[in-house]
Amino acid sequence: MRPKTNHRRRFILYAPAALATAAAVALAGCGSNSSAPSGGASGAPHQGGTLTVLEGASFAGAWPGLDPATDTDGAANQSYMNSIYGQLFELGTGGKITPDLATAYTFTNGGKTVVITLRKGVTFSDGTPFNAAAVLWNWNRDLAGTCTCKPVFLAKPVITQTGTYTVSLTLPYVNAPFINGIFDNIFNWIASPTAVQKMGEKAFALKPVGAGPFVVVSDAPSSQLVLARNPHYWEKGKPYLNKLIFKPVAADEPAYEAMLAGSGQVYEGMSTPQLVKTFQSHFTVTAEPSTSPYDIQLNTRAAPFNNIKAREAIYYATNAAQIDQKLFNNTYPVTQSFTAKAGLFYEPVVPGYIGYDLAKAKALVQQVGGINITLYTITSPVAEALDEALQTQWQAAGMHVTLKTFDLTGLIAVFQSHKWQAFLQTAGAYDPGTGVGVAFRFASYSPFTGVWDPKVDGMINAAASTIDNAQRTKDYADLNAYIAKMAYGPFLFPIAGYNIAAKGVAGPGLTTAIPTIVVLPGILWQDVYTSNG
Amino acid sequence: MSTSVTSGEPGTSSVEPSRPGGGTASRRLAGSPALRVIGRRVLIAIPVLWGVTFLTFIVLNALPGDAATALLGANATPAEIRAETIKLHLNESIWVRYWNWLVGLLHGNLGTSLYYNQPVTSILGQRIPVTLELVVYALVITFVVSVPLAIFSARRPRGVVDRASMVFSMASLSVAPYVLALLLILVFAVNLQWFPALAQGTGGDIRDLTLPAITLAIPLIGFYVRFLRADLLEQMSEDYTVTALAKGLSRWKVLSRHALRNSFIGLVTVIGLNLATLIGATVIVEQIFGLSGIGWELLRAINNRDVPLVEGIVLVFATIVVLVNLGTDLTYDVIDPRIRHGRSRS
Repeated sequence: MRPKTNHRRRFILYAPAALATAAAVALAGCGSNSSAPSGGASGAPHQGGTLTVLEGASFAGAWPGLDPATDTDGAANQSYMNSIYGQLFELGTGGKITPDLATAYTFTNGGKTVVITLRKGVTFSDGTPFNAAAVLWNWNRDLAGTCTCKPVFLAKPVITQTGTYTVSLTLPYVNAPFINGIFDNIFNWIASPTAVQKMGEKAFALKPVGAGPFVVVSDAPSSQLVLARNPHYWEKGKPYLNKLIFKPVAADEPAYEAMLAGSGQVYEGMSTPQLVKTFQSHFTVTAEPSTSPYDIQLNTRAAPFNNIKAREAIYYATNAAQIDQKLFNNTYPVTQSFTAKAGLFYEPVVPGYIGYDLAKAKALVQQVGGINITLYTITSPVAEALDEALQTQWQAAGMHVTLKTFDLTGLIAVFQSHKWQAFLQTAGAYDPGTGVGVAFRFASYSPFTGVWDPKVDGMINAAASTIDNAQRTKDYADLNAYIAKMAYGPFLFPIAGYNIAAKGVAGPGLTTAIPTIVVLPGILWQDVYTSNG
Repeated sequence: MSTSVTSGEPGTSSVEPSRPGGGTASRRLAGSPALRVIGRRVLIAIPVLWGVTFLTFIVLNALPGDAATALLGANATPAEIRAETIKLHLNESIWVRYWNWLVGLLHGNLGTSLYYNQPVTSILGQRIPVTLELVVYALVITFVVSVPLAIFSARRPRGVVDRASMVFSMASLSVAPYVLALLLILVFAVNLQWFPALAQGTGGDIRDLTLPAITLAIPLIGFYVRFLRADLLEQMSEDYTVTALAKGLSRWKVLSRHALRNSFIGLVTVIGLNLATLIGATVIVEQIFGLSGIGWELLRAINNRDVPLVEGIVLVFATIVVLVNLGTDLTYDVIDPRIRHGRSRS
């Protein structure tokens, strides 16, 4: 029986358009007057200038409103939110946590309480004070809301204002990744309580007030966000830029041409590895270090993957190195664990991990009486290319594989139906104990898991329940080994997003590498500058 | 002053002066073929618009996932999704939800966008002008280019202009709008720098609209040129044009003054029929050029399963198509008196 998604047919259907697009992009490369690739801005940072930042429409390029408490788009909106609200803590170069609106944190009470000290003398852009009362008000509002963007706790936290500039959060258990995970939830963004109360939630979402480096000039949701320098920003001499404009762009090719034409100076999250060289010929391209690899989720509650032999067959039939070589010219490091190099607790080689062996794969397929499965993934050129490569490899082992793609909403619905067999996924966190970390894909209490194993749940919880990093490293290594032993799902490699900057533009997370938060790194916009004025 | 005999109460009759343009005019108006066409079309439009919104509702509900899932994202737990489902009334049957939407519509309320949490009418109010300006601009370019090109092509069939227009038409009909847009940006935004590659603001500035309008117009020009040329050549073999030529009129005059008017009827029909395709193309073109119109918004709304917004946009699109087709019918009367008289007699 032929697979539903026929590779050759797809190629024939799309080849003319692909060739013409490639020709257009190649022509664009020839037609421009720009010369050598830029290494970012030259000289010391200086103040002034306007940047137009392009955001991919499929991820960050849509925003309904910018109130942290209702930010259902989560980390996708981080550039807007960080610019308007600043951050309590920032994730900087090399994964270093640096203070911003907070100055320090300490774990007390055996790790069950975290005390955060706030920066003194900071005001929101409406002139009201930024202090512990404001943080307390925001966090309580976040937790009282229904937004899934709020941090998830296993028990209700007790949040207390312990001083004018100190606030504490206490849980009945140790929550080691709290600070490491603050970047991918809304606790990191503090809104002006006075402005929210005065304007009302709806109006506030359209013209939010924070204590960040920029203030909102105008906001046409999902169309254009114009920000101007916050004259009352706490850090003297910053931000460098006078104006920051965010605009959505349809895809990588239009973004490239828009940048060539000068309609944008920054493009966040270019996601087509094949276009890297094209962008590099005119702009600064920075591969942002990914914190999580692509992984293949197997539904262990449904046939055929309720049988460990079928799962092992997938491991034996998957040649991640070959896919990396054929599709990406060996760009990405193959990994056997749930974190990537830029994330915490990275372990590239896992003891007991089942490697590629076609003969063994074929034998196992025969042994289980054949494997006939549907492999799902999200609608994205890279994910779809990976799916097709996996289909080819698995079919070589004698499996019958059908491919299906969905947008995010459709994908979630398939998960909820529990009627799925295999998913190609990517999602991760800087700390595997947070947000969309290891629990998201492997814990039985996650709606997006394929594994219902109490031992895995226990190991995940144990790893997050100690503030001893050495112990956490050991716990995650044990968990990696157990996932490999049970063949719960092989890992491929992390594919980073790329940030593109025009000549003369530089800044951390833009022209220097910062670990990604879910998908993209949090660019430190207050430090971004342009020498073009 | 004219007089008219009007019947009053039974058993009485009266002769009274009629107001200029009064009773007679209103009777004339009531009997007007154009008005009858409008009346008939409006009556037909009601079930058409209802059908479009109903089918859209059904199709959206058949898609995997719903607004609750889309809004809450990947982090949502089943309990949170259930709560959001109830909050958005998605737990009610599809018929109840459609009925509620329909009742709201009849009260001039298109509902609230589930994604933006703003009234649909306010979102449409911001986005419709951009799309309308784009579509009108594209049609103007199409008309201005294709009519002269078709006349020149028909003037000397298989001549240089005709062959060149044939090549242009084939090329323009073959190229996908996405690729065409990228090529236009490359030439006119990157190299010549005449127009921006992306819209600079959120409104419909003419410089922002020019490249997108040309992108939409080029395939239409290719089609209309071939269509109009063929029709003109057919007209040129009709008795009335042969007679005109025999009387000594130049081919150019016969083409432009006599044949063209008859060919316009077909062209107007095709424009009316093509409008839906043109509006559909705005979905892609608005995205590439960063225009904040309802085309791009429609795509976002579908991805977010934002049913009220999708319904609002589809209703606007359908209404435009219905109105343009009505306009097309009325234009026949202007172009061809035979149709007007035919209607008068019927």
